[in-house]
Amino acid sequence: MTATTYQPGEIQGLIKIDASKCKGCDACKKFCPTNAIEGASGAAHSIDQDKCVGCAQCLVNCPFNAIEETHSAIETVIKKLADKNITVVAIPAPSVRVAIGEEFGLGTGSLVTGKMYGAMNKAGFRIFDCNFAADLTIMEEGSEFIHRLHATVKGDPNAGALPQFTSCCPGWVRYLETNYPSLLPNLSTAKSPQQMAGTVAKTYGAKIYDMEPEKIFTVSVMPCTAKKVEASRPEFNDAWKYHKEQGSRAAEYPDVDAVLTTRELAKLFKMLDIDLASTPEYKGDSLFSEYTGAGTIFGVTGGVMEAALRTAYKVLTGSEMAKLEFEPVRGLKGVKEASVTLFDNELSQNVTVNVAVVHDMGNNIEPVLRDVMAGTSKYHFIEVMNCAGGCINGGGQPIEGTGSSWLGNI
Amino acid sequence: MSKKSYLFAEDSFFLSRRKFIAIGAAFAAALALPVGWFSSKLERRNEYIKARTEGLYKDDAIAKLRVSHANPAVEKYYKEFGGQPLGHLSHDLLHTHFVDRTKLS
Repeated sequence: MTATTYQPGEIQGLIKIDASKCKGCDACKKFCPTNAIEGASGAAHSIDQDKCVGCAQCLVNCPFNAIEETHSAIETVIKKLADKNITVVAIPAPSVRVAIGEEFGLGTGSLVTGKMYGAMNKAGFRIFDCNFAADLTIMEEGSEFIHRLHATVKGDPNAGALPQFTSCCPGWVRYLETNYPSLLPNLSTAKSPQQMAGTVAKTYGAKIYDMEPEKIFTVSVMPCTAKKVEASRPEFNDAWKYHKEQGSRAAEYPDVDAVLTTRELAKLFKMLDIDLASTPEYKGDSLFSEYTGAGTIFGVTGGVMEAALRTAYKVLTGSEMAKLEFEPVRGLKGVKEASVTLFDNELSQNVTVNVAVVHDMGNNIEPVLRDVMAGTSKYHFIEVMNCAGGCINGGGQPIEGTGSSWLGNI
Repeated sequence: MSKKSYLFAEDSFFLSRRKFIAIGAAFAAALALPVGWFSSKLERRNEYIKARTEGLYKDDAIAKLRVSHANPAVEKYYKEFGGQPLGHLSHDLLHTHFVDRTKLS
């Protein structure tokens, strides 16, 4: 019984350094948010898997291509696509649509939602946009925040903890679980959009698709490697539990069956001879491709907060924000903060909500958490994303915005 | 022959073989990356971060609906299936719990 930071069944050792390629240059250490990389300068490095959150920032920034992922679902997904008895559902995250074009010769940051849908349709996927689930996340997480805020203002001794932290980023969640377990009550209990999407696809989605849930194979496409670890958490089989309660006797299945990174989806398209760049645009095949602007900005630092504020403002005041772009939470400053004063209809008084947005977690989170631990934090709601800039710069994205390694560019 | 009976000037610079190799390796590691690699890396990284950020803000700006509570598909989900945010089914399907990872074995 040795200590571990993994639950049974979770993917361990996702990110690995190839000792034969590692020059010991220490570049990766500068990008690791948890100081998980060991080894002296000049000696081959290795990763302490108990500290690693799986973000792969080391991988995308390694100048020698010496870091790799140990899990890939590409082959499994291709097999499922060929099986006519299975409905394979793709769940693309916001950030995939502004990066996958880079792998097909389109400019860095090109927005290619329609072409991506088209290529997915050609490959045989049904489309369940993760942005729809991001909108759902706002409904749940925003309602939860308002609930905690009201209970606190009313002096309810059982009010949920403030500040409330966002819980979308699996690197951040694993970091908090490993290093600050006393702050877990502050995490929003809302699932991440990936996990909401998987669960909804196999419950409500089973009705929409008119398909038995055990024949639905959900494939999330993420800018993120840590999402693979998240999907493997043993508690994420809620659709199976739901159907079991309804009398189903199907064998256990996870909410999200497979996770592909943006790089891997591009590779899958290439293996199936699909050129995304020349694929006509496609609109989607169900209500699950309907999403709002609030859902899509989840991929950038500050985006979850901005989306939550748009909805919280409407719920609290009864009217829409006059200007939806909320500039104080945009941009690349390490810790951004803002105060919003509004008239709360339910409390019949003005309330001021202080929010903070943290990204590039390894460099910025510690002082914020120290204040929360000490009870001196002035914030009510804090968004945290592990990667600098947010998910758009995740460890599963095309490398360097060009689709090739750093060395390939010189 | 077991006891050393000479003194060399070089002895004051004595390094163990292991330490000598480690220093040599660190030197080689420092040479492996060109001077200024890290700062130019960050500069290029911020360029593609900004380009992709612009892509998503554009997706927001061109969207017909820009607030989550106005998504008709989300409304339909709650009406036909999910009930309401924080409701019973939301608790079962859309919320989770977290794990104290200092207590796993």
